[in-house]
Amino acid sequence: MTEPIIIARDVGVELGGVPVLRGVDLTVVPGEVVAVLGANGVGKTTLLRCLAGLQQASGSVDVLGRPPLDEPDFWREVALAGDEPTWYPGLTVREHLELMRAVHGSGRLEVRAALELFELAGCADRAPSSLSTGQRQRLSLAMALLRPSRLLLLDEPERGLDTAFRERLAGLLAEYAADGGTVVMVTHDPRFAEDARHLALEPAA
Amino acid sequence: MSGLAEIRSFVRLRGRRRRTWSDRYVTLLSLGLLVVLAAPLVGRAVSALPRDVDPARAGAGLALIALLLAGSLALARVAGPVGVSAADAAWLVLSPLPRRGVLARTLLVLVAVCVVGGTALGLALLSALGGPDALALRLLASVVLGMSWTLGGMAAAVLAQASQSWDGRLVAVLASLVVVAVAVAVMGAGPGQGVLSGIASSPLSAWMAAASVSAVVAAGLAGRAWAAVARIPARAILDASTRAGLVADAFVVMDPGSLTWIAEDAHWRSRVLRSRAWPSRLRGAAAVAWLDWRRLARRPGLLALVAATTVLPALVARAGGGGAGALIVLAAGALTVAAMGTAGARRDAGDAALARLLGAGPRALLAARAVLPVLLGGSWSTLALAGLDIVAPGGPFWLLGGLCAPALAAGALRMARRRPIEHAMPVMDTPFGSVPLGPVLWALAGADVAALGCLPALVAFAGGVTGPLLAAQAVWGAAVLAAYCAVPRRA
Repeated sequence: MTEPIIIARDVGVELGGVPVLRGVDLTVVPGEVVAVLGANGVGKTTLLRCLAGLQQASGSVDVLGRPPLDEPDFWREVALAGDEPTWYPGLTVREHLELMRAVHGSGRLEVRAALELFELAGCADRAPSSLSTGQRQRLSLAMALLRPSRLLLLDEPERGLDTAFRERLAGLLAEYAADGGTVVMVTHDPRFAEDARHLALEPAA
Repeated sequence: MSGLAEIRSFVRLRGRRRRTWSDRYVTLLSLGLLVVLAAPLVGRAVSALPRDVDPARAGAGLALIALLLAGSLALARVAGPVGVSAADAAWLVLSPLPRRGVLARTLLVLVAVCVVGGTALGLALLSALGGPDALALRLLASVVLGMSWTLGGMAAAVLAQASQSWDGRLVAVLASLVVVAVAVAVMGAGPGQGVLSGIASSPLSAWMAAASVSAVVAAGLAGRAWAAVARIPARAILDASTRAGLVADAFVVMDPGSLTWIAEDAHWRSRVLRSRAWPSRLRGAAAVAWLDWRRLARRPGLLALVAATTVLPALVARAGGGGAGALIVLAAGALTVAAMGTAGARRDAGDAALARLLGAGPRALLAARAVLPVLLGGSWSTLALAGLDIVAPGGPFWLLGGLCAPALAAGALRMARRRPIEHAMPVMDTPFGSVPLGPVLWALAGADVAALGCLPALVAFAGGVTGPLLAAQAVWGAAVLAAYCAVPRRA
C-alpha cells in the first residue's frame, strides 16, 4: 500500500480565542489531487498553512513523514503558491523563472516551455508588477510548477484566471499528480476541482 | 459660499470628530514650542557666521548648496509636487469644482516648505560665503535669495507637473545645478579661488541686487504656476496623489522601510527590460544572490550618481562641517550605498513566499548576499576616504575603506532584514521626554552592527591610523560579518 504523504488528525486552530478550525482529519497519498472547499471563513487557508508549517495547530500534522517545518529542507520538497508574492525588483518575468531553474536545477519544465504553457511569452521581458492580476497569478503558478517538488500546496489557484486557462491548469495539475506529485488546493470553483477529491470544511465556531 | 467651501464644510461637519478649542490650543502650543526650540539654534547659527572669506570653504559650501537644491528639486519632481489626499483625489479632483480651490491647501503647504527650506538655505549660503560687513542686511539678502530659489524651484516643479515642456526645462535646471556644484567645488580647490573670493566679498549692494532679481524671477514663476494650477491635468494630480498616499500610508503604519519598495516598484513598473539567462555556473544561494547584481547593473545612472557622491564627505569637511560632520556623512553614505545591494534580502524579509519557493538555506544565502554590499560599501568608503585624505590631515584613512566593508555589509543586511517597527515595546522616560523604544530600535538596527564592526576604524579616526588598528579592523570586521551570517534561521 502507498505511504500517505499527508496525515493530519484532529487538527484545530484558535485565533484570538475564536476557533477557526476544529477536528479536521486528512490523509493524502502520492498522486492525489485534493480540493479543500467551503464557505468564506471556514478555515481553508488556515488548514493549508498548517500543512505548510506556517500555522501552529492542535492535533497532529505529518507531511512527508514528519511535522512540517518552515525550513529550506521542507521547501525543497514542497511548493506553496498562495497570495501574490512580492516580486524581486529589477527582474523580468523570464528571469524569475530562470532564477527558479538556476536554484533547483532541471525541473519539471524548461523556462521556454513554461512561458508558452502559461501564456507568458508575450510579456517575458516585462517586470511582473506591470502585468495584469491574471498574468501575475500565472507567473506565480509557473514558478511553482517549473521546479521539482513532491507536494504542491495551492491557495485559490484559479484566482484571476480566465475560464479557458482554469481548464488548462486543471489539466496541468492532473499531469503533475500523474507524475507522482500530490496537490492540495483551496478553491471556490467546484468545476475547476471536479476531478479532485473533495474535502468540504464546516464552520468551526 | 462657493461649491468647494460647501463641500469642505459638509465633510467637516460629518467628520468623526470636530476640532475643539482644545485641539487649537494644542496646535498653537506645539507651534510655540517649536519656535522656542528653534530660536536658540538659529541664533547660534547666526552668531557662528564667519566674517572672513575662505575661498576653499566657499567653494565647498556653494557646491553643497547647489547639490541640496538639485536634490530637493528632483524630489519635488518625483513626488509631484502637487498631490491631494486619497479622498480628495477620488471625489474632488474628478469633479466640476475649480481645480485651484481643490489644490489650495496643498499649495499652502508647499509655500510653507519653501519658506522654511529657503531660510535654512539662506543661512547656509551666508555660512559658506561669510559676512565681512553689515551682517544683518547680508543675512536678510541671503534669506531672500534662499527663499527665492526654493519658491522658484517649487514653482518650476509645479509647472513641470502641468506641462511636458516645463518638465524638460526643469531637468535642464537640475543638470545645470550639478554642473555648477562641480564647477564651484573645483574652483574652491584652487584654480578659481580668486573668483570665489570676489563673489564672497562683493559689496552689500550686489547682494541686495541679486536678492531682488531672484525674488522677482521667483515671483514671476510662482505667478505662472498659480495660473497653471487652474488647468493642471487630473492625471498628473492623481498620479502624484497615489504616490503621496502610499508615502502617507508608510508613515501612518510607521514603516518607512516600505518607502523603498514604493520607489523600487514605481521605477521598474514602467520599464521593458531585456531578459538574460542566469549565469550557468551559479547554483543555489549564489544564484539567488545574483538577482541583486543584475538589478544594480540595470541602473547605471544610479551607480554613476553614487560614485559622484563620494566627494560629499570631503565637501562637508571643506565647507566647515569639521571632522565630526564629515564622519557622519561618511558613515551614512557608506551604509546607504552598501544597502543598495540588499534589495533581495529586503524583499524576502518582507514576504518570504519567493524565498520558500526557492528553498535556499538562510545562512548560505546571507553569505552570498553579503558579497555585493561588501563591494559597494568598500569601494564607496575607500573613494570617499581618499577624498578626505586630501582635505583633512591624520590619514591615510583610505586604507580603512575596504577593511570596514564587511561590517558595513553586515549592517546593511541587518537593516534590510529588520522587521516593521514594534509599537508594543515600552516607552522610555528620558531627560528629553518620553521616547518610544520601538521606533528607536528600528532606526538603530543595522547602524548598530556596522558601528560595532567598525570600532577599530573609529578609534583610528580619533587617534590616527596605525598598523595594529588596520589589522584589528580587518579581523574584527570580517568576524562581525561571519557571526552575523552564521546566526539566522530565515532568509
